[in-house]
Amino acid sequence: MSEKKRPLLEELKKGPWPSFVKEMEKSAHNSKTAELLDLLERSYEDKTGHWKHGGIVGVTGYGGGVIGRYTDLPEEFPEVREFHTMRVNQPSGWYYTSDALRTLCDIWEKHGSGLTNMHGATGDAILLGTTTEHLQPCFNDLSEAGFDLGGSGSNMRTPSCCAGPARCQNACIDTLDLCHNLTNTFQDYLHRPSFPYKFKIKISGCANDCVASIARADLSIIGTWRDAIRIDQEAVKEYAAQGYDIQGLVVDKCPSQACTYNAEIQEFTVDNPNCVRCMHCINKMPKALRIGKETGATILIGGKATIVQSAFLSWVIVPFMKLEKEDDYAELKDLIERIWEWWDENGKVRERVGELIYRKGMREFLKAVGLPPVPQMVKHPRANPYFFWWPDEIISSASGDAEAEAAAGAEVEK
Amino acid sequence: MAEFTNEELRAKILEYLNKVDKAKNKDIATAIGAVKRDVDKVINELAKEDILEFLYLGTSYVRIKGKE
Repeated sequence: MSEKKRPLLEELKKGPWPSFVKEMEKSAHNSKTAELLDLLERSYEDKTGHWKHGGIVGVTGYGGGVIGRYTDLPEEFPEVREFHTMRVNQPSGWYYTSDALRTLCDIWEKHGSGLTNMHGATGDAILLGTTTEHLQPCFNDLSEAGFDLGGSGSNMRTPSCCAGPARCQNACIDTLDLCHNLTNTFQDYLHRPSFPYKFKIKISGCANDCVASIARADLSIIGTWRDAIRIDQEAVKEYAAQGYDIQGLVVDKCPSQACTYNAEIQEFTVDNPNCVRCMHCINKMPKALRIGKETGATILIGGKATIVQSAFLSWVIVPFMKLEKEDDYAELKDLIERIWEWWDENGKVRERVGELIYRKGMREFLKAVGLPPVPQMVKHPRANPYFFWWPDEIISSASGDAEAEAAAGAEVEK
Repeated sequence: MAEFTNEELRAKILEYLNKVDKAKNKDIATAIGAVKRDVDKVINELAKEDILEFLYLGTSYVRIKGKE
């Protein structure tokens, strides 16, 4: 179809920025893609989208990985009557060989539109546009080439992780191994939906959180350390010699005021017990400062975008967990299964685990999964959102206690 | 919560799903009085055997394959 017939899309080709219309037009020799552009033009004309999703599309034995997409104008746009999305489970850290990508693209040109917008929010390689008839053959070819589908629907979504120790000196944990391990361990939860709603796991090697796990994951695993930041004082002196404003850019910006710098002797120190491991000083002086040696991860729960409740950031539930490869991450997996069990038992349909905690209370959650309340769980600074004590744990039979309670109450009322 | 053998559980799940259009695993477990985790396991087996299928209508459900 001539470009002249899509005047509204033409507008989206103007300007200095890359244009998705231009990219899609490169694939417009494919009749599906050409009609996809026509449908988009029509959507702009009508000021409404012409897509619907859902229904029953999938491959044998799987309940996730395929998202059924249909146009609501099938008679006018028969080529995109069915235009399903397939999610392909990405390798840890998104490390592909160019050969693997060629294979993936060849399979998609054979069975689909050839369009992709890799990668999606959960990290999968997203293949856009195929028919129901092609789903199983496409899946078979993907499997033959060593790929698997990712998650969709009410299941564990494809776990994702940052570049990790393969590319980054700040990786406190082997994010790549952990992501691969969890993906393999929880295959059934990934492919066959049995939860109230989706559950995302994202793994970052440090608090820079390059996969934004704190905002996007129901379970955030963020690398950290519990000993001291390693300081190379000679490198500190080099920063100073180059005129770097250590006081202004590093010390004064430390959120917990744990850094000090003595300009006279050009010495940098960290008050490690009061350091919150935010990575700021390490990011600013990477040649002089390094993460500690005793590394592990902080486990957080409940991050999500707005659906039932507003958007949540994840909330610390385990300040430090030593993630042990040697025992196959048993402590973490055991915790995940306890969380799922409680959520599954108590969650309403389409209720994320963070929303369930919001509804039932963190106290209920902690008791159910067997985690002790600790100060690091505070929701945000200067707020303590739950009580540590259960009523049956409080003994107040002695009159002295009662008097003390009354006095305490009076004190609070002041 | 009753304890069932794998075969009994398969039969009960299929019996229940034959009575309804679709269901979530949790509702099946409640209806037949079985442990949810055991129900999940059997449903997964039945899906792999192509006896059950999943559908997504705002959330995920399971049903007998091809049942309208």
